Amino acid sequence: MKFSYYPGCSLHATAMEYGSSVQAVFKALDAELVEISDWNCCGASSAHNLNYLLSLCLPARNMAIAQEQGQTLVVPCVGCLSRLKMADRVLRDDPARRREVEDIVGFRYSGDLRILPPLAIIGHDIGLERVRGRVQRPLEGLAVACYYGCLLVRPPEIAQFDDPEYPRSMDQLMEALGAKTVEWSWSTECCGAALSLTRRDIVEHLVDRLVDTARQAGAQMIVTACPLCQVNLEMRQKAEGERLPILYFTELMGLAFDLEGTKRGLDQHLVSPLPLLQSLSLVPVGQAF
Amino acid sequence: MTNEKNTDRIGAVLVVGAGIGGMQAALLTAEAGFKTYLLDKAPAIGGLMPLLDRTFPTDTCGLCTSCPTQPAYCPFIECDRHPNIELVPYAEIEGLEGRPGRYRVAITRKPRYVDVELCTGCGECVAVCPVEVPRELGGGLETRRAIYRPYPQAFPDTYLIDREHCTECLACVKVCPTQAVNLNMQPQSDQLEVGAIILTLGASAFDASQKGEYGFGRYENVLTSIQFERMLSLTSPSRGIPVRPSDGRVPRRIAFIQCIGSRDITVKRGYCSSICCMYAIKQATLARERVPESESTIFYMDIRTFGKDFDRYFERSRAGRGVFYQPSMVSTVKLIPKTQNLLLTYTDARGQQREEEFELVVLSVGFGPPEGGYELASRLGIALNEYGFCRRSALAPTETSKVGIFVGGAFAEPKDIPETVAETASAAADAARFLAASRGTLLQPRGEFPPERDVSYEEPRVGVFVCQCGTEIAGVVDVAGVATDASQLRDVTLAREIPMACTSEGLEAIRRAIAAKELNRVVVAGCTHRLYESSLQDCLRSAGLNPYLLERVNLRGECAWVHRHDPKAATTKARTLVRMAVARARLLEPARRTEGALIPSGLVIGGGLAGLTASLSLAEQGFQVYLVEKEGQLGGNLRHTHYLLDEADPQRYLADLITQVESNRRITVYRQAVVENVSGLVGQYQTVLSVAGQDEPVTLRHGVIIVATGAEEARPEEYLYGEHPRVITQRELEKKLAGGDEAVLTARRVAMIQCVGSRNENRPYCSRVCCAQAIKNALRLKEANPQADVFVFYRDIRTYGFMEDDYRRAREADVVFVRYDPEDRPQVSPQGERIRVVAHDPALRGELSLDADWLVLSTGIVPCAGNKALASMLGVPLNQDSFFLEANPKGSPLDFETEGIYLCGLAHAPKLAAESIAQANGAAIRAAVRLGKERVEGPAIVATVDEELCAGCGLCVSLCPYGARQMDDAMRVARVVEVLCRGCGLCVTVCPNGASQQRTFGARQVMAMLDAVL
Repeated sequence: MKFSYYPGCSLHATAMEYGSSVQAVFKALDAELVEISDWNCCGASSAHNLNYLLSLCLPARNMAIAQEQGQTLVVPCVGCLSRLKMADRVLRDDPARRREVEDIVGFRYSGDLRILPPLAIIGHDIGLERVRGRVQRPLEGLAVACYYGCLLVRPPEIAQFDDPEYPRSMDQLMEALGAKTVEWSWSTECCGAALSLTRRDIVEHLVDRLVDTARQAGAQMIVTACPLCQVNLEMRQKAEGERLPILYFTELMGLAFDLEGTKRGLDQHLVSPLPLLQSLSLVPVGQAF
Repeated sequence: MTNEKNTDRIGAVLVVGAGIGGMQAALLTAEAGFKTYLLDKAPAIGGLMPLLDRTFPTDTCGLCTSCPTQPAYCPFIECDRHPNIELVPYAEIEGLEGRPGRYRVAITRKPRYVDVELCTGCGECVAVCPVEVPRELGGGLETRRAIYRPYPQAFPDTYLIDREHCTECLACVKVCPTQAVNLNMQPQSDQLEVGAIILTLGASAFDASQKGEYGFGRYENVLTSIQFERMLSLTSPSRGIPVRPSDGRVPRRIAFIQCIGSRDITVKRGYCSSICCMYAIKQATLARERVPESESTIFYMDIRTFGKDFDRYFERSRAGRGVFYQPSMVSTVKLIPKTQNLLLTYTDARGQQREEEFELVVLSVGFGPPEGGYELASRLGIALNEYGFCRRSALAPTETSKVGIFVGGAFAEPKDIPETVAETASAAADAARFLAASRGTLLQPRGEFPPERDVSYEEPRVGVFVCQCGTEIAGVVDVAGVATDASQLRDVTLAREIPMACTSEGLEAIRRAIAAKELNRVVVAGCTHRLYESSLQDCLRSAGLNPYLLERVNLRGECAWVHRHDPKAATTKARTLVRMAVARARLLEPARRTEGALIPSGLVIGGGLAGLTASLSLAEQGFQVYLVEKEGQLGGNLRHTHYLLDEADPQRYLADLITQVESNRRITVYRQAVVENVSGLVGQYQTVLSVAGQDEPVTLRHGVIIVATGAEEARPEEYLYGEHPRVITQRELEKKLAGGDEAVLTARRVAMIQCVGSRNENRPYCSRVCCAQAIKNALRLKEANPQADVFVFYRDIRTYGFMEDDYRRAREADVVFVRYDPEDRPQVSPQGERIRVVAHDPALRGELSLDADWLVLSTGIVPCAGNKALASMLGVPLNQDSFFLEANPKGSPLDFETEGIYLCGLAHAPKLAAESIAQANGAAIRAAVRLGKERVEGPAIVATVDEELCAGCGLCVSLCPYGARQMDDAMRVARVVEVLCRGCGLCVTVCPNGASQQRTFGARQVMAMLDAVL
């Protein structure tokens, strides 16, 4: 199984552990990820606020490259994914815009390119059965709150993935790894990541609620699929008291698959998951990475 | 639709779906003289009715009083017992062959795996069945076994096995005392030959788990309204008290969220389900009544209490404490894990996002097409609409796309019980008109009774039967003790318990006992005499006894229910009541109904849409009709309707209808005619008309009367109407639009104000049609000139049913809707040629001021000024708003309490044209059923005069409301005209000498009862 891979800027920078764990996990599942050549920034978080046409052309250029490569395009960053799917939707439904963008980018939109998050590939193309077969160290005793955030499943006509009001894909994956998932009503509430630097007052309130309610629901950590959510939840939690670790779902897959490469990221987090994972004997005490 | 020549049509009707609508339709076609099959895919008939404990707006019990005649009867029993009705429960339709009038319907009778003939209903099988699954009734809050009865009072009263869940352990087979369980039963194919088919499939509740944001199915304390309705039923496990499934606690704070699966295009349900506002108000009020410290908040978009007397119901709930209304939708319901409480997020009136905690959340689920509707439609070859409901045209509300197949009730569009009853009656009328020439060709004669035994020389031999009513009575009252006590009483030959007196088994047991013990008086201590009276009387007749040798005691209502918490007192009271009953029964004498002749013709008062429809329907069912119209022209209000929300052309429809009426040889039309006097009673009315241009009054003789006098558009007295030339009513706007008035078609800005003069203290009802009319006209304005601004100032937009699509269409066409508060109404002032409208806009949270070229007032409907005079002439009541008051808003929306007088159209309440048509057609079959009998039977219990005691004072003559008393001047005594006497007893109470007595309720019998108790 072979897929095109669009890492976007974050997976090469602030979310390196997401990028490396995605790569490792796919490899462990016998799925090859081929990073598309000469990709550019998708423009997420700013372009669509400044120049609508630019916000279509930036992702369209990446789509043009992927279309050339032919395979399904895997986009782990939810911000990127949303911009790519938005552009795809416009190119599909609006012929005038399509011609305009095609002329600027210099390609012909075929409409055949599938653009999907890793959760969709794992849940559907690869299948949870294979995931279960690959588990070496079941995540027994670990209770997680699966956090989908805003853009992974919404707006539904763009995302076209999972139930927008009650998504299940990450929960099912975590259960396949042996973890317990908690019933948590806040799993699609916004964490305010876009305002993380400009309006801390708003963001801290939002993050506190997410963390507090996840803890009340019985979670020991929050699992996410978005680099912006991950860093925001980790960074803007209350400094005092017991803090909740925030991991990418691929990191937990790596742990369950016992992939050495992915474990290295675990001690890079602002809120270290190691005491928790060690207390559950999921990571040996005193092991250095 | 004249079908008199089509004698080759089969005089049989198949009614598919046996809910309240199907039962009513079947009873009507059966009574009208057609062999009727009543088929349902469920194992028991009744549809949703068994779920309902109370029904709005009267808050009376759903089952027992939803009754088309007085004394009330139960449609379940009537369908079960009617000689022309064959019940076909637990069956599926496989295919349709033949042609209209001669259809062959292939059906499969599904195996119950329990032999209906052998099963005694003992329930031993249930006790041993190891499988427990959710019970369908009430949305799965309770459980049942794999062998089960859908609910305790199910018809047919037999068990069945759910093979999907059955583990075939054979425990039930072994334990069954009559070997009724047979797992080898096979489906049976069968064929029904019918002339017409009526589809009354009903609707099915929306699956709330499709709306993930509300947590149904995941959060224990989030219920659907179906589940909550069940909880509020006195027969639920919590005995009508709401409880939280998570911990069994009684919730103090309850939230209702409206429009779950309605008005929601994300789940492909763009329409309004029409009934949810009312049932939510009912449930919230009832919850408060049951748990006085509880409070409910109803979250809504528009409160749609558009039905007759519904706004009063809504206002009453607001006036009392404990039911609050929040005009906003809830975006999410979140679970608070520790308390299992629920956190609701919404935006309040000030635009602030708020979160509020509740202990229980009720999702007011809407209704979609019935399960299996698509398959059935394709098998029958009928068209459905985009939502999967039966397709029909606007002005043929009960016709499907196929000739000879008719539709009524929620399968055509979601609707409440009264409208279902009216519409399914209309479907029955359509079938009766279609098969008119074949009426009575396939009937079974009603069973003959043996000759009556003369008991006048016998000593009283009283039999007392104390009904357990399942556990309804036996659960509270010591039934065995009551029976033992009764057996000691004077002249009691036999006293015994009986499990269910009203079932066929119960009636048969009573019949056998009468024969075996030669009983000549019967006391049945069970439920109210309003129920099953005719079943029990027939039971006596079948045993050779006069039916009036029966006495009833209401142990269920007067002992078991009201003294539920004090079984000892309930039993003592039961003993006393039975003692009184036996004392009276000993003295009962045979009585006979008075009989009168019947003139097979009807008078229809009012020549508008309803009156024309009713006349044509009654004539096509074979009866002479006199149609009286006060104007010179037929057509009434419909003459002012120029177009509708859909494609139908009302003027063409009306012209065609008038032609049909005028050319029908059975209809005589009187124009410019006024009803001057009505006398007589059902079967023999005499009406005097004064007709313009005729010197002599016209006297008509007829058997029944249909009141179709219509109503009028209200004239506004506010908002500069009559003072400014650009202030007009919706009807005036429609006329200008239809006439191509340039000043309207080129207007740049039009403002409309809804609820002008309605829903206030003077006129506390909703006129129902104005929202649709405003949207219809707004869309016309936008079509003519898309640049025009149209603003609609409203309180609640009430585009119920599929009209919600038109409301959405109007918003998409940029018609602006601005909600106003009745306390803060829009202010208008003249601005030269234009009118300035100033209002608070809750969406903008500020003042909106605009200058309109036209101000259009939605003024609503007011009853005719002549209603009062006509009502007193006919002896029928009006409601508080001066519309005619039907016998029972739920079960008898087309009848008056007075037999032989029927009601339809705007005279009943405001409604749309299609609704008037259905009601009029329905009223016509009610009338036709009455006219189809050869004679009129009056009551047996009438007044008598003891001439020895009568002093001839004449008090009774002046007092009798029915004209049933006359003075015999020669003898100086009062006499009773028995056929007119209604047995009200007024004369008995005023007679100073005790000369007036009520047959079977004479002083002798009543004093004996008092002696027994004192």
